[in-house]
Amino acid sequence: MVNDLQELMRQNVAAPPPELVDLDGLVAAGRQRARRRHRGRLAAGGAVVLTAGVVAAGAALWPSASTGPEPAGRPPAAHGPTISLTDATRAVEGQDYRVLAHHTNANLDADNGQYFDGVTDDGQILFQDGPRGPYWNQRLALMDPATGEKDWLPDPDLGQEQFWPVELGAENLVLQSVEPDDTDGLQGTLSVRVFDRATEQWSTLQWPGLPQVRGPKNGQVGPDGRLYVLTPATTPGPPPGGWPTAPDGDAEDADADGETSHLWSVSLTDTSDVRDEQQVVGDFAFTDDAMVWTDGSNGDPGRVHVRDLASGEEHSFDPHTGERCNLLSLGASQDRIVMSQYCGTYDDEVRDDRVQVLSTSGEPVVTLQDSGIDGWVTGGAVVVSSFRGAMAGTYVYQLDQDRLLRVSDSVSNFGMGGPTPDGLFLWHTPFNHRHGAEQWLGQLLD
Amino acid sequence: MGHNAASEAAFAEFAAASRSRLRATAYLLCGDWDRASDHVQEGLIRVYVAWPRLLRHGGELAYARKAVVSAFLDSARKRSSTERPTDLPADRASGEDVARSVADRAALMAALARLPGRQRACVVLRYFEELDVRETAVALGCSEGTVKSQTSRALATLRAMFEDAARDELVVAGERGLPW
Repeated sequence: MVNDLQELMRQNVAAPPPELVDLDGLVAAGRQRARRRHRGRLAAGGAVVLTAGVVAAGAALWPSASTGPEPAGRPPAAHGPTISLTDATRAVEGQDYRVLAHHTNANLDADNGQYFDGVTDDGQILFQDGPRGPYWNQRLALMDPATGEKDWLPDPDLGQEQFWPVELGAENLVLQSVEPDDTDGLQGTLSVRVFDRATEQWSTLQWPGLPQVRGPKNGQVGPDGRLYVLTPATTPGPPPGGWPTAPDGDAEDADADGETSHLWSVSLTDTSDVRDEQQVVGDFAFTDDAMVWTDGSNGDPGRVHVRDLASGEEHSFDPHTGERCNLLSLGASQDRIVMSQYCGTYDDEVRDDRVQVLSTSGEPVVTLQDSGIDGWVTGGAVVVSSFRGAMAGTYVYQLDQDRLLRVSDSVSNFGMGGPTPDGLFLWHTPFNHRHGAEQWLGQLLD
Repeated sequence: MGHNAASEAAFAEFAAASRSRLRATAYLLCGDWDRASDHVQEGLIRVYVAWPRLLRHGGELAYARKAVVSAFLDSARKRSSTERPTDLPADRASGEDVARSVADRAALMAALARLPGRQRACVVLRYFEELDVRETAVALGCSEGTVKSQTSRALATLRAMFEDAARDELVVAGERGLPW
């Protein structure tokens, strides 16, 4: 007698116990996972502001004794299909989008105000009030866009600490802040507040085993529910003699070496659960089913790497960014990768700014190239802000339709916004001679 | 590009059709039907997320198999190292074929449970799913050489366990044709 392996295996599974199959529940869980991925990408989008700020802060600190050679003429054409803001179609309210809510701050020069900080999966606006005199503690509410009613949350004990939402779920709100260290303020201790919407309780999380993170915001929740963050690895400095000065007076740091970071992850329920992912990255983002990262950030991005999260398979490719392009932020949606870049300043203070869209296989989809733009990914779309002249305004590039819509003709002086679920987006316009701002929540229509 | 009612209906149909097979594979990997259901659930959620791409490029079942195996391997990494697999049931020489058959099947599950997760996955994918070496390497995200070496070690271990438990010899049909 012998035992045949294959036959024994078949016999072992020949009479499985019955299983309650809930296909609706499976689809619902899939939808929730997909939404979580979108929220993660939104957090990456916010990094645009951060990286721009880092460059500006560095420029202020670094010597600029050299005026250096300036590139003449016009920016070079980007690789692959290219469009500019003039290719945008004017968005029509009621046809291309509808306004779900808006809020006005009359004079933000005089005092802090109230803001839409994002939208939860179930469509509630995270509404921030302050800090402003005489109320020096921030207050948070969930606002129903249909009625404008606000459900004020218990005091999160944020004081005047600046925070960024990394996950706005139907069950939890996850807010991240970084307490800067004493050296250069570009890294610090990660702190996360989690609000359980069922029990209406806040909890504050810090991870003793986590090194200082690049600040103030770089976290994204991964498909496994863990928070992924970056800790500094290398931060190249300016060249000998400092950066040359661009025509607009800023330090010209185009074509900088990219900085690198270590990727770590932490549990959002167990502060002893800290994991070094043993991966050095520039910037990173998640698509629905893959992790995407670059070799460098805030400088030359190097290659783009894609890891299938289900199988672990990896591939990489050259994104063909321009020779002088610095990666400012990385985002992703479905099978699209979005890289926001600064590629130098040319004659007449024309900046070469790019928002490059690639497939996860590395094929060029389109590059939006213009002067004075930045962009970030929000559920299924790239929201682009332009700050210059007649082309100023907010634009939305719909990744699934390959079309660029112009939503507004101006952008306020203030930075505001946050993560939104698929199909929704936030933008802001000036008010009261640019002393204030109106903030809008819109929904794209098919 | 994204999920819509039609693609969700197609996904639900695929999930319903493939679930039993995936659950059987997961059971052989983890040895517990409830945990197998959990691995399949996690794997199919991953499939849902990737579904629009899979619809365009095909390979749904292969991707689902990969996702379930990956969910199992992820879980195996997280599980406590204090778990102890049960001993293989010794042949009590009952003389009854049914009892012997049941004991043999249990012996296999106990022996599989003692293998490292990746070796177990190699055995299950190669001899239950009947994938060839290349397909198994793709499913596990490793080289074909790794599949060969891991499978070889796994089979040697399984055979030794059967021998130690005084059970009948464990054989693999068509083993002479294998590349090692």
